[in-house]
Amino acid sequence: MTERNACIVGGGMCKWGVREASYIDMVQEAAKECLDDIPGLKPKDIDGLLFASAFVGRRSVQANTAPVVAERLGLKPTSICARVDVLCASGSTGILLATGLVESGMSDIVMVVGGEKLYTPERWQVQYDEIAAIDHDWDSPQGIGPPPIWFALTAKEHMKYYGTRREQFGTVSIINYDYGFSNLKGHFQRQLTMDDVLNAAEIAAPLNLYDCCPLSDGSATVIIASEEKAKELSDRPPVYILGGAQTSLHSVTANWPGDHLGDWPHLRLAAEKAYERAKIDSKEVDVAQVHDCFSISEIIELEELGFCPKGEGGPFVESGQTKIGGSIPANTDGGLISCGHPFGATGIRQAMEILKQLQGRATNQIEDAAVGLTHNLSGVNVEHTIVIYSREPRK
Amino acid sequence: MAVSGIPFLEGRYSPTFDLWPIEAKEFNRIHTFYENLREGKFTTTKCKQCGRESYPPRVICPECYSDELQWIELPKKGKVKAVVEKLGGVPICFEPPLIDAWIDLGEGSPVRHVLSRVINCPPESLKEGDEVQLVVFEVPSHPIEIRRETIMAERVFFAFEPAKK
Repeated sequence: MTERNACIVGGGMCKWGVREASYIDMVQEAAKECLDDIPGLKPKDIDGLLFASAFVGRRSVQANTAPVVAERLGLKPTSICARVDVLCASGSTGILLATGLVESGMSDIVMVVGGEKLYTPERWQVQYDEIAAIDHDWDSPQGIGPPPIWFALTAKEHMKYYGTRREQFGTVSIINYDYGFSNLKGHFQRQLTMDDVLNAAEIAAPLNLYDCCPLSDGSATVIIASEEKAKELSDRPPVYILGGAQTSLHSVTANWPGDHLGDWPHLRLAAEKAYERAKIDSKEVDVAQVHDCFSISEIIELEELGFCPKGEGGPFVESGQTKIGGSIPANTDGGLISCGHPFGATGIRQAMEILKQLQGRATNQIEDAAVGLTHNLSGVNVEHTIVIYSREPRK
Repeated sequence: MAVSGIPFLEGRYSPTFDLWPIEAKEFNRIHTFYENLREGKFTTTKCKQCGRESYPPRVICPECYSDELQWIELPKKGKVKAVVEKLGGVPICFEPPLIDAWIDLGEGSPVRHVLSRVINCPPESLKEGDEVQLVVFEVPSHPIEIRRETIMAERVFFAFEPAKK
């Protein structure tokens, strides 16, 4: 069977934050924004639905969620109707699966919706629920369900092995808050100084409040379609999905695959596989959305994705390379740190921002952006997911 | 009129909100790990066919898929490689200070590192290079139904503590 090309056609998201709305309310808001972005598309034209959500089963007491979502959105899927859970990478995983379905010819137009309602009536449950987000029987009893402790250890190791300084990962927060200031759909709209970052409440030293992304309620939606359908549906330049990769080398922290915690071979492997599939190298990427669940994560991701040499992520960020005009503008809509993190919706928000960048309609527009990349890690760094987008089809 | 189905479970056990593993032999096939732990032994499984040692313990060998496994002991002492302390705002079910360490069990150990809580340890005293040792403690029991009879299943878990000088 000949493969055909898959494109991302449009996207939309609801307001993220602590919302007075249920997951199914927010899913409807995001889907409306998405179809408003593609005026020619009607719900009846959509033949597939993938719903990305990690916690809807626990927080909203709803298993087999996809038919609930399909019904409320007026969809009648005939090729696929399923929920996807890869925790923080659920949304990107939905996009990768939709790409495969479209490329194979099984689906023509797939809606990928991500959403979480994390803030239920009592706030303690939001963090406590993370006992289910990691390897429960072995890691949760050690107190690392909420992940700051694990990433604080990671930061300490990166500082020890590479000389990274506290101010360097503080810079990540400042830059990403600056980008997110104009994103009214994000969780926060504010700007930070280094004093704000260094003097904020300690979460787990060396990480303070602004080094950590918030958990958020929210939803986001994109449409993935065949090249032919994409050109029918939209007059905007097509944006092709060149491919991606997802690696999982361990689950229990004791089986960490690196030489130390600042060494992420599972991300290097994902990057190698994704670039190979997309037939590009890291130098061709013009704009990236990397998983800044913590400021230190972004620094290590920039290294392992090949945007700077290993160990030099700190000075790289400090010298402004992730800002507009830098060598790899990153998290140009604010990232997780400013937009927030409703797990299943995050990869979809990242895809929307890349789509806008490659179509020249982003708020923080990177001039002539032609190739974009999204990255997520899941849980306490047990899985890595990459998707690569381009204005040109795969070579 | 009393209405059932309200979210207060009237003393009933909700496993989805349990921080600790369900360890009882009626529930899983690696209960030997917890029985060994109760005797102060830190153990895992080794394949009798190919010799692969794996952690955590399993029912099959992840290398050759043999189901003929034996129990072996892990080191009970290790050295701290990195430590993080949370003095306030600890997750529910934990008491401050919550101290976690990345512990090196040494060359030759079937698993080189473990992440563990360090208990019985004053705040701001643990540092890189310090020696720590296994410590076993009881955790809350939970009800389990065995042939229509409900009993309380007792449980233990492990952490590390500063090694005795």
